[in-house]
Formats: sequence, structure tokens, C-alpha cells
Amino acid sequence: MKSSVKLSFCRWDILVIAVIAVSAAVIGWALLTRAAASGDGLTAVITQNGTVLESVDLSSIPEGESQEYTVNGDYTAVVELENSRVCIESSDCPNQDCVHTGWISKAGQSVVCLPNRLVVELTGTSGSDSGVDVVIG
Amino acid sequence: MKRMLSLLFAAAMAASLTACGAAGGSSSASSAASSSGADPATAELFAMDTVMDLTAYGDNGQAAVDDSSAEIQRLEKLLSRTDADSQISALNNAGGAAVDTGSETAGLIGESLAYSAAVDGAFDITIAPVVSAWGFTTDSYQVPSQAELDKLLTRVDYRRVQVSGSTVTLGAGQSVDLGGIAKGYTSDRVAELFAQDGVSSGMISLGGNVYVCGSKPDGSAWRVGVQDPNNSESYVGVLALTDAFAVTSGGYQRYFVQDGKTYHHIIDPSTGYPAENGLISVTVVAGANAQEGTVSGSGTMCDAFSTSLFVMGEEKALDFWRSGKYDFGLVLVTDDGRVLVTKNISGQFTEEKDSGYSYEVVS
Repeated sequence: MKSSVKLSFCRWDILVIAVIAVSAAVIGWALLTRAAASGDGLTAVITQNGTVLESVDLSSIPEGESQEYTVNGDYTAVVELENSRVCIESSDCPNQDCVHTGWISKAGQSVVCLPNRLVVELTGTSGSDSGVDVVIG
Repeated sequence: MKRMLSLLFAAAMAASLTACGAAGGSSSASSAASSSGADPATAELFAMDTVMDLTAYGDNGQAAVDDSSAEIQRLEKLLSRTDADSQISALNNAGGAAVDTGSETAGLIGESLAYSAAVDGAFDITIAPVVSAWGFTTDSYQVPSQAELDKLLTRVDYRRVQVSGSTVTLGAGQSVDLGGIAKGYTSDRVAELFAQDGVSSGMISLGGNVYVCGSKPDGSAWRVGVQDPNNSESYVGVLALTDAFAVTSGGYQRYFVQDGKTYHHIIDPSTGYPAENGLISVTVVAGANAQEGTVSGSGTMCDAFSTSLFVMGEEKALDFWRSGKYDFGLVLVTDDGRVLVTKNISGQFTEEKDSGYSYEVVS
């Protein structure tokens, strides 16, 4: 009797472990595919003078729609956010470098408006794509 | 029997919970330990008319970032042309008299003159009055008249600048702007500070000037994307770099349009006009030759040459590379849709798929 108790305990243990392992795999797979489907999980971080004004998960914006975020300061700039990209749509700064930069859509890229000390940066784990640590140019 | 089974099940659950608890305990401890190692110290600064990002991993990362931030502020005060109290302003306002700028500034000016000679004047710190006439230092862009440019161009000649020890003397009517070299020099200084502070993994980006220290914490090379000048959402390719400097010059971001014509900010010292020699982006890459505790810097060189080679155009730029006088690699983007990568760095360069460019390895 004693030995039979021991035996069934082991079986149950293995079963429980198996159940946990399978559910972990299923949940993990679901999370991974969800992240991949949501535009690489990009987040647009808008900072001015080094202070974060807004952080937007781009995947929260429905495809085909856009959001605007207005930054005030020495100058007024409008940041346009879409599901997988972001740009400074307009700015009344004197040099317009930030508007000239255009749309960015990859982690590591940023749009900078020096007169307004404004930085819009894309962060996140871009999956298999061309994930880079920094962009020059 | 049913009761026995449920008892057994409960026992099994309890056992697995205990095991789980033990495993959870150790894994959370290790993740805390690894996250303190994995989270880098970072800083973002606005200096030298650009935005600068510093990242350093490891126990001394914070010290290295703090030291570097202080150093950047010191260099900006020293080298800025728009800061009335800088040594460069003192030199520009001296009316041709000899100025003791201190050995560091004089040394950097001397180095600039050597690069100017190497590229036959395609890079010239005495271009300052011409750049001012275009309004690029004040954000009030305008096209100067040809008469004004002709007058100002007579003052542009690096050979009239004299450096002797810590003393610098400018020619009549001359002024200098170290904007084409100051960020590169700053990256060299930061590289030295990272080495002194014992940082073995880190990265800095000083507005188009990148220095990567060591490799990434996981041991792989840093991935440096080279911006596509024609498509802001894409790269022309990615460079895999360890212990290296990389600097890009291009006219596609800082420019203005007047009467339907585009004028960018990289002025050709021979014409006084924005350089139009067939290149739209030039990236210069050089190894940092990091030894233990020291870095023989070459960010200054990369900065000077990226501007120079943009001005020189494809043929002269490649001839200069082939001369082998300096050790560096190039990624050139031409206005007719080609990307040229020099052979010595082609193994570190990955083309961007479907970018529309044709790629060539140059030897």
C-alpha cells in the first residue's frame, strides 16, 4: 500500500508539471504572436528638455487612424502618431529640421526639434526586422 | 478511494507548489541580479547644436555617464562659436592678433588644419563667415548675394591660420568654426572617459556622431543603422560594429527651400555654395583601437572626413580612401541610387532588403 501511494504521487506530480508546462507554452506563444502582430510593440516617447511628456503604445492606435499630440514650449509642434509610425507634422520653429525628418517607424529612430528641445523617439523590441541599437544620419 | 485520490491530488499540488516556490525564489533573485547588470546608465543632453545620448553598462556606468556629461558641457563652453565667452569667440574677435587659447583648443585647431591639408581644403574651419552669411548658425536662412560670397570667400583659407604651442593667430578678417569637428573630438573624449571609468560596454550618439564601446552586454556587435536619405522610414543598411566610431554627413535634414530650390547646410569652401557633387550621404567608420584603459581616438578624424568627402564627391572621395593614408571605411549614397561600401568594412555591412538601391563593394 505504501509503495503504491508513492507511485501514484509521482504520476500526479508529472501530470501537474505537464499541465503547467503546456499552459505556459500556450500563454507564451499567444503573447509572442500578439506582440508580433502589433507593429513590433513600438512605443513613441515624447520628451521635452529631457522630461517625458507622453509615452504612446503605437499598437493601441487602430490601423488607418491617427492621433495628434500638441507640444507647447518656445514653439508649438504637432506630433502625429499612427499605428506603426510617427512624425512631427508641423512646427513653428525657425529651421523646420524636425518636419523635414519625416516619418519614422523603427525602434532606435528619433525626430529632434532642437529649438524646442523636443525629441520624439521610438523604442521597443522590433522583432526579427532590422532591429538596430542606434541610427546615424 | 475517491477521497484517497483527491488527497493524493492535494498532496501532489502542494509538492508542486513547494517546488514552484523554490524555483520562483531563485529565479527572481537572479533576474534582480541580472537586471542591475542589464539596465544601463543613460543621459540625454542638448549641446553643440544637437541632441546627445549616452549609454553605459556595468557597475561604473553611472560614473562614466556623469563624467562624460560634465566633459561635454566643458567642451561646449570651450569650442562654441556662438558662446561669447568661449575661447573660439575670443580668437574670432581678436582681429588677427595672437591668442593663447590653451593647448587643448590650439591642438584641435592644429589637427583641423592637418585634415584640411589632407583633403586639399574640402574641409576648412575658416568657412565660418560664409556659413554665417547663409544663416545656418542663427536659424535665419537666406541665400547670400554672389558679391557677398565672393568677398567672404577671400577670407577662407586654412593655410593662413598659424598655431604655435597654445597660441593661435588668424589671418585678416578670418574667423573659425569648429562645428565640423567638435562633436567628433567630444566623442573621442567620451571614449577616453569610458575607458578610464572601466566601462566595457556602452554607446554614445552625438547628432550623427556615434561611438560604440566594446560590444553589447550579450557579447554581440552593436547594430548601427545608416539612415536612408530618401526614405525616413528606412535604412540603406546596418553596420555591425564593436569599438568603433561612425559619423554620417548629409544635407537631407538641415536645409531650406527658397524660390523652389533646396539649399542644404554643408558648404563647399571652394564655391561658398552648398556642395552638390553627387553624394547625398557619407558615412565614415573607424576602429577605436581600444587598448586596456586607453582609446586612441579617431572620432575627430571621422567627423572631419565625413564632411570633407561629402564635399569632394564620389570619385575624389574614393581616391582619397584608396590612398590609404588614413585607416577608415566608407558607406557612400549617391544621388543616382547607388550605395558604395568600401571593401574593408563590407563584411560588417548588411544591405537593407527592398531599399531600391543598387549596392557595390568598392576596392
